[in-house]
Amino acid sequence: MARDYVSRMGLDRRRWLKLSVTSFVAASLPGALLRAQSSSQACSPPIPQNREPSNGGVCPYPIPWLDKNGNHNQAAMPNVELSSIYHFKGRLARCSGFHGMGTDNKGNRLAWGTPTTDYSYMAGEYWSARQPHQGIFAHT
Amino acid sequence: MPVPSSGLTFSSDGKTATLQVSDVPIIDQPRWPAMDAESTSAFLDFKLVFTAADEPIKYEDPVRQYRFEGFKATAQLEATVRVPSIDFTFKTDPLETSKSDFGVMGTEVNGRYYGS
Repeated sequence: MARDYVSRMGLDRRRWLKLSVTSFVAASLPGALLRAQSSSQACSPPIPQNREPSNGGVCPYPIPWLDKNGNHNQAAMPNVELSSIYHFKGRLARCSGFHGMGTDNKGNRLAWGTPTTDYSYMAGEYWSARQPHQGIFAHT
Repeated sequence: MPVPSSGLTFSSDGKTATLQVSDVPIIDQPRWPAMDAESTSAFLDFKLVFTAADEPIKYEDPVRQYRFEGFKATAQLEATVRVPSIDFTFKTDPLETSKSDFGVMGTEVNGRYYGS
């Protein structure tokens, strides 16, 4: 689970943007500029037909000790598991604790970022459905 | 969130990575984490740039079977958030004006790949 927010100046509430990042599907999407795919059933475990074996779905496997708590990641910091995918090898970068300013469509200047404003990429091989897959994923 | 290969690019020396994504479906949930917090559909475009520094790092836990090796990094972000149902849009200032407290960039192995 991940979250981000923009705090609206002049208002006493915070606008949490909880990102839909809990689903992963293999990334082989065409197009010059990407269009992120939302949660899909494409990687759900298929129902075997004709007595075929069931090897599970092709969704990347979550980090076991994080998933049991209902999360798929933990705050980025030194000496923690930074990946959101278990059985993974590849390139990874992670960051958190953004600070910045911006402007809304009414011209209000707003601060954005918290310690949990957390982004990452994972690009490489992961294992699911008893076979390796290649993919690129982002955590936001 | 899956990303097409065109969404993640690296500089020739591998020290800079750019992740650029548009129309990421998200939810706006102002009262989170209240159990009955209502949510509305929103969308996010962002560009994130990691730049590796010179300080090497290694995080490893044999019990949990992960190993990350790489470098400390800076990260900068620019983004636009749209919440159509309330006609709300927010655009951050340019990438160069943002900063992050923590960043790392490198490679990781975990799970079945940990021993390799």
